[in-house]
Amino acid sequence: MKKIVLACLLMGVSVLAQDTSKWICPSEVPQPEDNKLTKERIELGKLLYFDVRLSRDDTISCATCHSPSRGWSDEVPTSKAVGFQGRVGPRNSPTILNSAFQKKQFWDGRAKSLEAQALGPIEADVEMNMPLDMLIPKLNKIQGYKELFAKAYPESKGVITKEYLAKAIASFERTVISPEAPFDKYIKGDKNAISAEAKKGFELFQGKAHCTDCHDGWNFTDGSFHNIGLNDGELTGKELGRYNVKARPAWYGVFKTPTLRDVTKSYPYFHDGSVKTLKEATVLCSEGGRYENNVKNKSEYMKKRDLSEDEVDAVVAFMHTLTGPDVKVDIPTSFPQ
Amino acid sequence: MKKMGVLLVSVVMCSMMLDAKDYVVDQVKKTFIPHEVTLHVGDYIVFKNSDPFAHNAYTDDEANEFDIGMQATGEDIRVKMKAPGSFDVECAIHPNMLLEVTVK
Ligand code: HEC
Ligand code: HEC
Ligand SMILES: [Cu+2]
Repeated sequence: MKKIVLACLLMGVSVLAQDTSKWICPSEVPQPEDNKLTKERIELGKLLYFDVRLSRDDTISCATCHSPSRGWSDEVPTSKAVGFQGRVGPRNSPTILNSAFQKKQFWDGRAKSLEAQALGPIEADVEMNMPLDMLIPKLNKIQGYKELFAKAYPESKGVITKEYLAKAIASFERTVISPEAPFDKYIKGDKNAISAEAKKGFELFQGKAHCTDCHDGWNFTDGSFHNIGLNDGELTGKELGRYNVKARPAWYGVFKTPTLRDVTKSYPYFHDGSVKTLKEATVLCSEGGRYENNVKNKSEYMKKRDLSEDEVDAVVAFMHTLTGPDVKVDIPTSFPQ
Repeated sequence: MKKMGVLLVSVVMCSMMLDAKDYVVDQVKKTFIPHEVTLHVGDYIVFKNSDPFAHNAYTDDEANEFDIGMQATGEDIRVKMKAPGSFDVECAIHPNMLLEVTVK
């Protein structure tokens, strides 16, 4: 009898161990061979990230749309990113939290690395509207930056190119990682770190609600692309999503599954910022999308899950446990001259 | 002598064709199994899908470019390897799925 109990216990423990490992944050951030993290690179990248001189009229930095005080997302709760001279871009600013762990960047996955991603927004006319052939000479006139580039990338000899600029910004982005949230304490064994309702929500999230079909693992995304039925009928323009990168049938109207870490801070929701609350977003995702029918290439995972209102509330309560404490970021106040 | 040569070549060709092999790559729990395959020009990769949802496999490799489209559960799709080289195959839905192919 004792033996059986012991065996059960051991089995239970091993099952638990096996099940929780995918929920534990990795201890190391992936870094490309030719751009390993160093203190100099991170510090330089941080200055660039917060420096408004990277925009054409010296008013906008990366942090304008991905601000540490707003979950590394928009400062303003409007649905679309507001950039150069108030121009409105076509998409909602996503958080850059944990983007170092993504294999594809942007809602449509068009950039393969942070290095490839970083230069896009600088040039985009609705973002910083700063053509690189204007920005690079502008930066090379700032002696302080030339010195920092020479230290961070000795082989640059202080000559700033777009490659080194991208590498430095990417290095800072690799340090923007989610802080320990109540959920992390819970999964590591602190049973009181989250409420009973949130625990029920976690069960539903993995079970009846099928959220883990896509929002799986410690970063609450498996990196997959789906059309979740936000629009019906024929799609045009930006709504085609990843299909704009290449017209593969599997990419019609698909967007990247976003992380749900710090999701309470990254409203409004979805690539088009069309949903204001986490509860509405949850209902939409558990009801098979906004449009049930007439959606071309809708993901087969998007089905009616018949959650009661209490169950929806529990899933929302669970998602609240994925938000960590506000991290104090020392925002640079003086910049290289 | 020339005829012999032609005969020899065609025999070799035939035996090469007969030799074309199938290499099964299954898609299970959002992973390609195996995740590496080495084969020869003319051989086939047979993609299977053992997951309860759709997958895909494609490569942008110029010489071997293919895209099998949406692959339903239980479906088998054969793809012929056209030219030597090494390239990555991804699933268009789950880009974290990676298959490394070497064609000799
Ligand atoms: C005007 C607002 C704005 C500015 C300024 C801006 N971004 Fe963005 N950023 C966005 C929007 C909108 C997207 C989503 C675009 C898309 O997916 O098509 C985005 C996407 C990203 C992503 C991809 C995140 C993901 O999950 O795929 C990263 C990383 C990023 N930006 C970093 C930066 C950096 C670095 C800078 C400064 C060089 C910057 N952004 C400047 C609005 C902005
Ligand atoms: C088919 C895969 C899939 C399933 C299943 C799924 N999601 Fe999502 N989820 C996505 C994708 C893809 C997006 C982004 C779609 C877009 O903007 O076009 C998203 C967006 C979201 C967002 C908005 C996040 C943001 O930052 O904008 C929330 C919240 C969310 N999902 C919660 C859930 C919950 C809760 C469940 C379970 C009830 C769920 N999802 C089920 C794929 C999925
Ligand atoms: Cu797949």
